[in-house]
Amino acid sequence: MIPIVDRKICVGCGKCVEVCPPQALALIDNSAYLREELCEECGFCAPECSVNAIVIYFPLSKDRS
Amino acid sequence: MSKYPHIFSPGFIGSLVAKNRVKYAATETNFPFADGYVSDREVAYMEAQALGGAGIVTTQGAYPDPKGEGKGFKGMMAIYNDRFIPGLARIASVIKQHGALSCLQILHCGREGGVDLDYSLMASVVPQKLSYFKTPKEITHEEIQASIKEHTDAARRARDAGFDMIEISGIVGYLISTFISRYTNKRSDGYGGNIRSRCRLMMEIIQGIKAKVGNAMPVGIRLCGLELLDDRGGNTLEESLESFKLAEEAGADYVSVTIGWHESSTSVITRDVPMGHWLYVSKEVKKIVKIPVMMAFRQFLPHIPEKALADDVIDFWEACRPMIADPELPRKASEGREDEIIPCIACNVCFSRLYYHQPIMCSVRPTVGHEGEPEWGYYGFQKTTNPKKIVIIGGGPAGLQCAAVAARKGHQVSLFEKDPGLGGSINLASQIDEGAVELLRPVKTLQKECQNAGVIIQTDVCMTEEQLGSLDYDVLVIATGALTRKFSFDFPGSIYTPGDIIAHKKKPPITSAIIGGNGVGLGVAVFLLRSGDYNLTIIEESGKLGRDVNPFYLWQYVRLLKERGVKIFVRTALKSISANALQLDIRGNNTNIEVDGVIMALQDSHRSWDSFARKHGKEIYYIGDAKQPRRLNNAIHDGYRLGMVIS
Repeated sequence: MIPIVDRKICVGCGKCVEVCPPQALALIDNSAYLREELCEECGFCAPECSVNAIVIYFPLSKDRS
Repeated sequence: MSKYPHIFSPGFIGSLVAKNRVKYAATETNFPFADGYVSDREVAYMEAQALGGAGIVTTQGAYPDPKGEGKGFKGMMAIYNDRFIPGLARIASVIKQHGALSCLQILHCGREGGVDLDYSLMASVVPQKLSYFKTPKEITHEEIQASIKEHTDAARRARDAGFDMIEISGIVGYLISTFISRYTNKRSDGYGGNIRSRCRLMMEIIQGIKAKVGNAMPVGIRLCGLELLDDRGGNTLEESLESFKLAEEAGADYVSVTIGWHESSTSVITRDVPMGHWLYVSKEVKKIVKIPVMMAFRQFLPHIPEKALADDVIDFWEACRPMIADPELPRKASEGREDEIIPCIACNVCFSRLYYHQPIMCSVRPTVGHEGEPEWGYYGFQKTTNPKKIVIIGGGPAGLQCAAVAARKGHQVSLFEKDPGLGGSINLASQIDEGAVELLRPVKTLQKECQNAGVIIQTDVCMTEEQLGSLDYDVLVIATGALTRKFSFDFPGSIYTPGDIIAHKKKPPITSAIIGGNGVGLGVAVFLLRSGDYNLTIIEESGKLGRDVNPFYLWQYVRLLKERGVKIFVRTALKSISANALQLDIRGNNTNIEVDGVIMALQDSHRSWDSFARKHGKEIYYIGDAKQPRRLNNAIHDGYRLGMVIS
């Protein structure tokens, strides 16, 4: 699942950028920006975020439709 | 006659007969939903496993308790309520439909559980060594009784869902294993003490399940044959062996032998462990039990389990990762098509996905989790109605994978490689450390796939604009790999690229600096340290060393670097050079280091064909490191995805 980055919450610490294996994340204007076409959906970024600006939603069965 | 007469002979489990000795072993996927229900994706994945020809197909572990203490993965399958039976029945049905025995695994993750909670449950409170697991809580005597009932109720649901057999998992830190291990069981209530007492929970669960589902339904268990926890007071080999005997005494119909805990500080399933290495443990188990013995663990090539079966070391060959990489492994082996088996390279990207709450993916098989989506072509592609002429420059994994898929779709594909051999930068990576040579296996398979699909491959061709201008084609794919960044300082010593060192065997000065600490830089460092004594310094701008190296390998590499005294500077920028001194800015502090050589391990994309393509009006795509320098999985996935969409 592709992470969703809330750039309004992001404080621009850059920790997610450092752990992103394909360098799909970059700091632009002091907040994290995800280039989705490079994201390999590894999930490494979300746990690094101390302000929960990165969310990876895991679907529930009711989402199936 | 098959080359593998033992693998492809029927096997007996309790009262059942499996058509051969291959068991697709339980593998978590994170394909089910977060509330434990089976998804279409999981059913399609399991159907592919059943179609691949294994005699027994095991589900992923399903957690048996409603609180989710047993749940170790966000997308783990549940079996704690009858409402899960219809979904589970879909899996049992697709497995049986294709002639395999269906086995449901019940798994309480114990010390590794409570993924949605703030604690995990285990025999005694022993602090976690791995940060991503939850704080442990001791399970009470009453909770043990409840858990036994939850396991037996789960088994009844599995039977009702139509499964042929049941498996319980008691390995690596899961609930049952925390009781069996001396490392984690300090109890004094009859469930702790000597090995028989520590196995009491395991035995009561087996007995409870057997009583519930009846003797006709085989019940097996996975146990740890060798914990590899000697540094933490884990079980001796003798104690572990005793646990298998006690499982048999409790009524188990088979045992599966596993190695190591997730906390073990030894390599268990990485490439540095030779294939077949762990079979000596199952050999010991075979000596003491009469029921069938199974084992997985680094038996990637069929001749290894064939020999182990012939030598009576195992009764069934279990496969997890090799069958994630290719569910058709059994069929291809039986038909003598070994060179078409998509080979697991033990990169363990599947594993790391699980622990970061993502569905599994596979470096070498991009279709994992897409078996039910026809556009991904797992069961073959629909031929295009608009065949195109495609030129691919670069015969590394990205180019080869793109060529194979595009050709299978009916396009006319020509691939040009500048070197005499295929593989691109994999030829460097395959020399880094023990076992890395296995990385060449997928290149060989892709080459074979290209050949079968009619790709025209020309090696020793360094493509020029002039030559390309003379070719007739519609689509240009650039898969030429990365460019090593130019070292922009005036340095009097020698400057090397990774290719100079690994491919051309140039020896850098003993005292050298490696610029860049991602996989490429670490790879060069490991390569050099394994070939001689070096005084190396690694300079990395970010705060993370080995950002793109899988955690299963990173700890090994970092340990080697530390043992060999490599100086590692992170958050460090190279500011200037004065004679042989590199002036470093380490988080605002300046330091000089003197070196005789510099190894440039930073890479950039290679987008040099844009203007050519524009001028000639050609459709152009970049894949793999040419698009952006990354890892093998990205190269193969880039290639596959592009091959799928060219139309």
